[in-house]
Amino acid sequence: MSRRSEYLALLARMNWLMLAAVFALMTIGIVFIHSATHVREDVTAGLYQKQLLWALTGLGAYVAAALFDYRKLRDAAWWIYIMALILLVAVLFFGTKIYGARRWLMFFGTGVQPSELGKLAVIILSACLLSPPAEKFGRLPPLGWMLLLAGVPMLLVLKEPDLGSALVYAPVMLAMLFVAGGAARPLVCLLLGAVAAVALVLGVVALPEKAGMSAERQEKFFRAIHLTEYQRDRIEVFLDPARDPMGTGWNKRQSEIAVGSGGWTGKGFRKGTQNILGFLPRTVAPTDFIFSVIAEETGFAGAMTVLGLHGVLALCGLYSAMSARDKMGRLLCVGVVTMVFTHAFVNMAMTIGMLPIVGIPLPLVSYGGTFMVITLSALGLVQSVHVRRPGI
Amino acid sequence: MVARESIPLELRRIRVILGIMSLLLLGLAAALFRLQVERGSEFEQSLQRQSLRRVRLPAARGRILDRSGACLADNQPCYCLAFYLEDLRKPGRWQNTIDEVMRRIRALQPVIGRPPLVGAEEIRMHIRKRLPLPLVVWRSLDPAALARLSETRVDLSGTDIHIEPMRIYPGGERAAHVVGYVGRATLSEAALKAYQFQLPEVEGKAGIERSFNADLSGEAGGRLVRINAAGLKHAEARERDPRPGADVVLALDGRIQELAEAAIRGAPGAVVVLDPSNGDILALASSPSYSPGSFVPTLTTAAWDRLLNDPGRPMANRAVTELYAPGSIFKPVVGLAGLASGRWSPDMTVTCPGYFSLGGYRLRCWNPNGHGTVNLRKAIEQSCNTYFATLGMQCGEQAIGQMAAAAGLGRKTGIPLDREADGIVPTSEWKQKTWHDKWRAGDTCNLSIGQGALAVTPLQMAVVAAALANGGDVFQPRLVLEIRTRDGAAVTNFPAVLTGRLPVPANAMQVVRSGMHDVVMAPAGTGGKARVEGLDMAGKTGTAEYGTAENRGKHGWMIAFAPYEKPRVAVAMVEDEAVSGGTTVAPRLQALLRGLFQEREADG
Repeated sequence: MSRRSEYLALLARMNWLMLAAVFALMTIGIVFIHSATHVREDVTAGLYQKQLLWALTGLGAYVAAALFDYRKLRDAAWWIYIMALILLVAVLFFGTKIYGARRWLMFFGTGVQPSELGKLAVIILSACLLSPPAEKFGRLPPLGWMLLLAGVPMLLVLKEPDLGSALVYAPVMLAMLFVAGGAARPLVCLLLGAVAAVALVLGVVALPEKAGMSAERQEKFFRAIHLTEYQRDRIEVFLDPARDPMGTGWNKRQSEIAVGSGGWTGKGFRKGTQNILGFLPRTVAPTDFIFSVIAEETGFAGAMTVLGLHGVLALCGLYSAMSARDKMGRLLCVGVVTMVFTHAFVNMAMTIGMLPIVGIPLPLVSYGGTFMVITLSALGLVQSVHVRRPGI
Repeated sequence: MVARESIPLELRRIRVILGIMSLLLLGLAAALFRLQVERGSEFEQSLQRQSLRRVRLPAARGRILDRSGACLADNQPCYCLAFYLEDLRKPGRWQNTIDEVMRRIRALQPVIGRPPLVGAEEIRMHIRKRLPLPLVVWRSLDPAALARLSETRVDLSGTDIHIEPMRIYPGGERAAHVVGYVGRATLSEAALKAYQFQLPEVEGKAGIERSFNADLSGEAGGRLVRINAAGLKHAEARERDPRPGADVVLALDGRIQELAEAAIRGAPGAVVVLDPSNGDILALASSPSYSPGSFVPTLTTAAWDRLLNDPGRPMANRAVTELYAPGSIFKPVVGLAGLASGRWSPDMTVTCPGYFSLGGYRLRCWNPNGHGTVNLRKAIEQSCNTYFATLGMQCGEQAIGQMAAAAGLGRKTGIPLDREADGIVPTSEWKQKTWHDKWRAGDTCNLSIGQGALAVTPLQMAVVAAALANGGDVFQPRLVLEIRTRDGAAVTNFPAVLTGRLPVPANAMQVVRSGMHDVVMAPAGTGGKARVEGLDMAGKTGTAEYGTAENRGKHGWMIAFAPYEKPRVAVAMVEDEAVSGGTTVAPRLQALLRGLFQEREADG
């Protein structure tokens, strides 16, 4: 069989439902980025065209990843991981500062977010190390090792600071360890620990004021525990949205009004008044808050469509995981699906006020080049596992 | 069907994950349903009928008061008609909205009765830079215009009357150079990115308005107001109260300031009145002056150009920013330097032939016939150049320079006004550095009579006059007494600052003071024209030449303090174009002191 026909055969075995969901989400994204930015006459006016370009680039990466035999990643996993770490360190020193955080590395005029590559690198390396033959360790590496491997990039991302991206590592690692057959008890302990940590952070932010600490001492206290002011503001606003509707609470409140006013079918394409009138913050409407634009203009029906498509994506990914040829493929699928799902869930939940606002985009929909390409490459790897499944 | 047990662990666990994800999505869907469908009507209604408007509550700017609490800068309500461009947003390009706003402005113009403050370009600018803020289209509406507006049938949606505090200067030109003025705030791009309505719209551009801008400006508050389609306010949401600016209390005494301004009116010049017991600036005036009120709300370009190009330079604060050669009013300092150096005593006499010989060169005394044989006291009274040149050569330029520095010359006093000049006390190092030349005997002669490179501000000379008045204490001139918040809760005091003491023995000070006493009080004193009936006082006149040989002019100076025994005021006055200090400036000083003391006596 020629190489070409071999590729064609592989393509024919693709999970077409998943590809359709990917297409649908990307189309929705481009359409509503246009809607979110059409009222503006500044540089962001052509944002949807840029997104289209990124989507095409990403699709190329998707097909390439699908055709690439994921088993060959075993040789490259460490190198990808080390490269990601180097980029994550580099961004701390040479990164471009935008809105107070160093998250971007500029390559030939294009901004790249190493934190996104970091997630994928950790997933790939974990999938290799957690599946036989993991020669590096001889047998299944202990839980501690895995936490260390995920912890280093996570801390680097936290340092940028990018709390949202750092938090994504936790569910991804938990899910992969769980499926890999880790003992249930330590994993449950870890999960409870994570929940407790979140509760602790919330408590720590709320308590000093309740305890009647002076503003000065509160300031000292928060500096001591390395919580920046904007992180604290966001958590405080989550706990008490009415706290300051002019300041930080504004985004949350306006996003809720936007989503809420959508009704069953929304106000119609490009008719979202919250967005047009600029009540939704202009810098985030096409990125982190794209879901509230969609929900306002297409209502419950549209919001459920996006939610459903992400459900389909997760379902397809997990189906690929179950039918995978080997454990490595299985873990790869579980990791990617959990990563994409966590992003989608946290983003939609923060838009409607269920979670504090952390800067996490909606995969395949939000504007953002690096994240689009990384997400599509990751989903391409899932396809790669899928097309090499045994049987038929 | 495969039995549950036979399914591998991995697959079972993937199903668990699938289950968790399904539950999360279901929860999200339920929340969406509740928000969009169940409570949706409430949000939808609220959006259809109302839009949320962010209203800015400007903070009242703090007042500037004189020491008795009289207002030098205050606020008064100003009724403005503002457009909320977010409410008037038309679909499509912003140009559509601009056209709409222009159409509405044209419809309203006959009602208001005067042209609007903004045009299409300003609207475009406003949209780009400060969209959430109201765009003020007409300012200072009078009651008649407000009445016509309330009865008009022109569509007023998207507009609002709002009240802004407007800066007023009740005294007109009173203390203009001290108070300064305000202008439209220039906002940095970074500041505009944040929520805009906390930003101040005016800021101090000169004087106290500028140097204490942070205290005066306060902090604007905000309010969320729901507006229905007709432009009526529905309900007010959260509010952040504005914090009014703090009041700044100056040491100026309104009445003395008025007298001081009257005394130098019509002549380019400056006058500073200090309280010698603590350095309080009781009056500080520069002439010609300007009206800070003309800057509010904005100054026209033509008026600004007129102010800038006026040859009399009304914007210059001559008392603080201009440098003058002090001339003979510097002689008391030279006298003190001589006595303190130990190389001169009050009784040493010099015979003045009408000039002082230095090598082959003659330094002329102002009286070509000579002053005869004079001692120090007489030399001050007669302002004898020959005597002081001799004294200066004897004690040396270093002693004079040290005494001048001790009196506060050659450096900023630190008054919180713009562009204060340092002044120059020339030394041999200074000359080497500046002119690359070595110090010569002629330089010492010039320095001894207050000429040459020596340069001072009227404010610095007032400090010297105050030190001579109080027996040697050099105070930092105090312009601001305190800053206090509107509710009086917090007060910042600025205590008087004693910066040093003239290093002279008491008897030396006594001789120089008695010489200055004779300047005014003796029958032939050079400052006799400053004499006020019934007032025992002291002073020193001075006339300093400036300019090139072809274009020579004279500054007239006089410093004074009164009453002689227990001085309550020390004054320095300068006039740019004078015949001499004694003939031109002394009568003006007399007018000031007469008003000051006769009125005070009248008050008891």
